[in-house]
Amino acid sequence: MRKESFSRKVFLFFNTLFMICLVVIMVAPYLNIIAKAFNDGKDTAMGGITIFPRVFTLDNFKTLLSDKALPRAAVVSVARVICDVVLTLFVQFSAAYVFTHKDLVGRSGLLMFFMIPAYFGGGLIPRYILYSNTGLLNNFLLYFVPGCFSLYNMIIIRTFINSLPDSLPEAAKLDGASEMQILMKVIMPLSKPIMATIALWTAVGSWSDWTTTMYFFTDKKMYTLQYVLVQILKESQKIQAMISEAALRGEFIDEANIAVTSEAVKSAMILVTTLPIVMVYPFLQKYFIKGVTVGAVKD
Amino acid sequence: MSQKIEKKAAAKKTLLKMYKQRHLYALLLPSLLVVFFFNYCPMPGIVMAFQDFSIFRGLWGSEWVGLDNVRKIFSQSEFTTAIWNTLKVSMLDLLISFPAPIILALLINEIKNVKFKKFVQTASYLPHFLSWMAVIGMVQVIFGSQGLFNDIRLFFGATDRITPLAEQKNFIWFLSLLTLWKGVGWGTIVHLAGLAGINPELYEAAEVDGAKHLQKMWYITLPHMLPTCVILLIFRMGSVFGSNFQLVYGLQNPFIDFETISTIVYKTGIQNGNYSMASAIGFTEGIVSLILVVVTNWVAKKITGSGIW
Repeated sequence: MRKESFSRKVFLFFNTLFMICLVVIMVAPYLNIIAKAFNDGKDTAMGGITIFPRVFTLDNFKTLLSDKALPRAAVVSVARVICDVVLTLFVQFSAAYVFTHKDLVGRSGLLMFFMIPAYFGGGLIPRYILYSNTGLLNNFLLYFVPGCFSLYNMIIIRTFINSLPDSLPEAAKLDGASEMQILMKVIMPLSKPIMATIALWTAVGSWSDWTTTMYFFTDKKMYTLQYVLVQILKESQKIQAMISEAALRGEFIDEANIAVTSEAVKSAMILVTTLPIVMVYPFLQKYFIKGVTVGAVKD
Repeated sequence: MSQKIEKKAAAKKTLLKMYKQRHLYALLLPSLLVVFFFNYCPMPGIVMAFQDFSIFRGLWGSEWVGLDNVRKIFSQSEFTTAIWNTLKVSMLDLLISFPAPIILALLINEIKNVKFKKFVQTASYLPHFLSWMAVIGMVQVIFGSQGLFNDIRLFFGATDRITPLAEQKNFIWFLSLLTLWKGVGWGTIVHLAGLAGINPELYEAAEVDGAKHLQKMWYITLPHMLPTCVILLIFRMGSVFGSNFQLVYGLQNPFIDFETISTIVYKTGIQNGNYSMASAIGFTEGIVSLILVVVTNWVAKKITGSGIW
């Protein structure tokens, strides 16, 4: 090994320094939110909370739970994630498996059918009108059916299935297995890594989505956790503006008299909506990453 | 005569084959139905962009107005401002958020300690796993008057607590820096995968020839990263007019007057019920984006030889 030059050493030093700063910038804001979520609301309002709570309390979470809407929203969120993952896996695996058959009659036409919407769509408003005309607004199905097929994911799965040895499905076929049986009993058990990838992607996307609720749901019973968070944040923006405007006019509004969500409760809500994912991703990241790299392969 | 028979036989053969493959078609049926209903059925709705659409009279009964709506978009200042804003945001993203993961990937690639490297990567993925709304909530808390941002300012000698989120001139910077923060770590994955795929013999050969570190990077590493960058750029061009609705809408507050195409479509269409105008904007955006992708792809193919189709 050649001895490293001086300039190279300087570079490596600054590179390490830069990486440490990067880690702080990426992680510190979240740690700050965790600290505030567990810190007393009045104390938080004085400022100066770093990444450790100053006056530890669980009251912020109790405040959140005292609102009946929240547990309900949590149930809706979990239910939609489960439905989304199950349906997505089934629909996309079936489609991907079918497209691994090179001799399928009408294969290219069918592929074209799935490709066009990736480049061209009706847009938000025609979709809204369609749902409204078919009575789908406020329907739980909207949370997981419209998005259950994705061309990109289908291609990733197909690439994976193509990389499996051909001999296994062929042997199953000779034994008289139907296509459905081959898919469920042979292909799917062999495809666990890519299944995990697609399942995790879908779960994260489904959990984090709030625009579906905002566009198509007016029924409060159907709200998800993310959308409850949206409402809390939007509400507090409005109240902040009211207070500042009043202050400009020389009036004073006591924040205690209006139902302003404290920064501490807000932090607790952010924590509730993000923690399930933040806790698992470091351990499952190889599955999350797999899809990104497989997807780069063109067909 | 014999040709006819042959054709008939071929058709029969195809039908037979299709019958044999009926289970495959059955498996494809769910996706076909879903895509047909949720992607194709809304498409005819685009015609309302050329109508004075009324939900009571429907697509068939509404009055046709030709390109009036499209013309209106370019004559009303709220829409032209929204288009201009969207372009500004996109250009900033193209200048900041697009090259950042490439540079970061190169720097991460220089880390020798495997554990430290893994740690940096894991930490940099964190923002990717937070929903946009959670990110906006965090920004509200951190840049609020009692937040970390002000604490740091006070620490360095400032005397007042400010609210940067309520300042119009900061808004666009918040948009692009948040996009950078959320996406830069995750964006390195595809580049790092490409870097891992470079044959180490190339570097060894270059070293024998006396190449310096920067030269190796310029002549080996960067050319290997180029095709991926080109493909990413083409996809990026397709969304130059499609701003991040979740971010812009979430960050807007009563002090800010900053609309982009996607927020104005939502506000005009769903909040105010002006379906025709909203679809006209959506339609124009779709067409322009399609053209941009095709043109970029064509140019990229001419220059670098790689494209998406």
